[in-house]
Amino acid sequence: MSMLEHDKKAPDVAAESDDPQARVSTGLTLRMAETYGFVLAFVAVIIVFSVLPATGDTFASLANVRSIIGNQSTVLIISVGMVIPLLAGNIDLSVGATAGATSVVTAAAVSRFDVPLGLAIVLGMVFALIVGVVNGILIARVSANSFIITFGVGTLIGGLLQWYTKSLPITANLPKAFQNFGNQNWLGLPRLTFALIPIVIVALILQDHTPYGRHLQAIGSNERAARLVGIPVQRSILLSFVASSALAGAAGIILTARSGGADPAAGPSFLFPAFAAVFLGMAMIRPGKPNVIGTVIAVLFLAAAVSGFTMAGANSWVRDVFNGAALLIAISMATWFGKRQGAKRI
Amino acid sequence: MTTSAEPPAPFLRTVGISKTFGETRALDSIGFEVAAGELRALVGGNGSGKSTFVKILAGVHRPDGGGQIVVGDASYETMTPELARSLGFRFVHQDAGVVDDMTVAENLVLGHPYPRNRLGLVDWSALKARAGELIERFDIDAKASVLLRQLRPATRAKVAIARALQDINLDEPGLLVFDEPTTALPNREAAHLLEWLRGFAERGQAVLFVSHRLDEVLALAETVTAFRDGRHQATVRRQGLDEAQLIQLIAGRAVPRTSQNGAPQQHRAGRLELRGVKTGPLRGIDLTVGRGEIVGIAGLLGSGRTSLLRAIIGDLPVDAGKIVIDGESMSVRRVADGMAAGIAYVPENRLLDAGFPDLSVRENLVVASIPAFRRFGLSSGRSEIREAGVLIGQYGIRCGGQSRAFSTLSGGNQQKAVVARWLRRKPRVLLLDEPSQGVDVLARNEIEQLIRQHAADGMSVIVVTSDFDELARLCDRVVVLREGVMGRELRQPHLTEDAIAELTYGPMEVRHVDA
Repeated sequence: MSMLEHDKKAPDVAAESDDPQARVSTGLTLRMAETYGFVLAFVAVIIVFSVLPATGDTFASLANVRSIIGNQSTVLIISVGMVIPLLAGNIDLSVGATAGATSVVTAAAVSRFDVPLGLAIVLGMVFALIVGVVNGILIARVSANSFIITFGVGTLIGGLLQWYTKSLPITANLPKAFQNFGNQNWLGLPRLTFALIPIVIVALILQDHTPYGRHLQAIGSNERAARLVGIPVQRSILLSFVASSALAGAAGIILTARSGGADPAAGPSFLFPAFAAVFLGMAMIRPGKPNVIGTVIAVLFLAAAVSGFTMAGANSWVRDVFNGAALLIAISMATWFGKRQGAKRI
Repeated sequence: MTTSAEPPAPFLRTVGISKTFGETRALDSIGFEVAAGELRALVGGNGSGKSTFVKILAGVHRPDGGGQIVVGDASYETMTPELARSLGFRFVHQDAGVVDDMTVAENLVLGHPYPRNRLGLVDWSALKARAGELIERFDIDAKASVLLRQLRPATRAKVAIARALQDINLDEPGLLVFDEPTTALPNREAAHLLEWLRGFAERGQAVLFVSHRLDEVLALAETVTAFRDGRHQATVRRQGLDEAQLIQLIAGRAVPRTSQNGAPQQHRAGRLELRGVKTGPLRGIDLTVGRGEIVGIAGLLGSGRTSLLRAIIGDLPVDAGKIVIDGESMSVRRVADGMAAGIAYVPENRLLDAGFPDLSVRENLVVASIPAFRRFGLSSGRSEIREAGVLIGQYGIRCGGQSRAFSTLSGGNQQKAVVARWLRRKPRVLLLDEPSQGVDVLARNEIEQLIRQHAADGMSVIVVTSDFDELARLCDRVVVLREGVMGRELRQPHLTEDAIAELTYGPMEVRHVDA
């Protein structure tokens, strides 16, 4: 390398390390704002809708909390799944379709082929895992762009679902017990909450406390360097897509239980909310990086806002404007925070 | 020593140009002349000041006061980019950048406004006409409509140069400076490009090219200027100059050096052995490194130095040959295999290949051993924090806290962190690629000391660097890699900068290995 190039680079690096003391003290407030800013926004949304006369009574009720958690369980699991490949810098846009397909496979197995429910769930999950393996192989081994591959796979699955179901929901013959699971409460909370908590905890442990999660984060930071410190880059990426598909599959099964059937249009409709939540989640807790807790808060934040707007009688366009604006603001902030840390562009 | 080469009426003359960066004197009172129509090579080692000098001419750096830059009758104390341009100075950098999937015509207008037609759309026929004119004026052997990737490397370089120079008037005298124009080119292509550059001199331009390849300097330049330690060492005619004299100019007089290692050490049993290793540019490498031995690999850019290290760690598949470590034949197919065999690799490009910029210093330190910090199967944050604290203290990494992002560290501290990452694994063999690139002198010394300590404890080291001084300082033995095979070797106490330079640039005398 020539001296000319050196001279250009060296000062930048040095300038950043100038006077670390000053940066730490002025940076503390900023860092708190980066980390918890959106958490405060979440709290603010809850307070506003709880206090507003138009919405206060219903918004702050236990019934509404139940309904939000119940309705968001699918999106929540899907978006937590999306975080995993995103740790390594890959996006999975096929999760909505995978959730829908798992739901259809499970419901169809029971309703059209009289397969026992347990086996039907296994079949649905097998389908989800196959999607994950296909995504993973194309992205990790063939090094295709994850955005394009998963977009293509998602569209393909969506099309097949329409063909198989003729765009009609499958509802016949599903056992009552299965449907009840999704809709009943334990200890005053929806039963699903008790399924969500372990999923979130496992994802959190995977992200921060397993060598695998740490490897994914290293790959997300610098894939070449990750390879040169012996991290199995291809295998890690492949598995991350299997994991996101598995969670999408779990979400699909919960969706089937809650709605008492499989609606081929339901799965794909979860993609945007999950996508928005994952990126909104990058604007908090761990600024500029995908993370499980931020994502969970983002799902609840968006859901609470939507619920509040609905109760306030706002037109449906208000929701879309709010969601879109929140996502834009969040992603700009997350990118900006990330850049301060030296991360690459999102 | 200075043979004056003074053609009549120099186009450019500098008197007493100095430049100080902080404490370092990069240039010391440079007096320099170049005439119109002259083809001059500028040579010197790393840190000799040649780049700084070029940047002063370009108006990028401001010289310390007191000097003069004389062009014709006018004299200037400092340059600005605009002034340099108006005086007919042009600077072409080595990585001029061409787009392989665009045509010659489009590459020629990149960075300049596209010609437009009345509707504001790209006027393709005007574009083609302009490209045709440039192709003719600059004598480029390609058609305007051909894709760049279809051209030979030298012609691609010509397109980049013609683009940079397209607004000059070749009928008026000017100064054209080329910074290592041939670095990325194979030998034959380099010769072809230089022959073309000579055309500029023949048309009356003063041409200055910076080069590390002594063979091409000797083949093409009319005159040679050597810088050393910020001083203008000499300007001589190329005729009658031989390679030994040229090396002498670059390296200065041969000073007997005292080696840090003292007497040549007796190295015990061989630790790492390469037998006929072939891959990429390597045509059969035989090399033995003893326990605790520090072996340097000298060689020009593109000689296969980096490929050699990548093959040993397992990042580059080996086509033929064997790698044996402590008597055991290794099969390395991926980096994890090399690491399991006790090999560690500090790559050349820290930012691209070693650093995790947005991760913390702690994560960067433990990243090569994440599974080692497990408790009950889960990563233990506490033991990582403890380990990172120990490493930061032990290796003197100044970072303002282990949670700071790696990218906020200075180059030297980043490098210390990368070295610490590997040394904590207690490797049997450490591979270092350009370990002091972008590293300040202080940190460099600290890193070298660490390496020596670990070598004294039995770790074997292979160092690749273009810094001959570093090789002479650090190594027990230096082997020259040329054209994919191992050439001659030097041992302490005969290990001097000059001797290494001579082996690297001098005529080949190697054991012949068939490709």
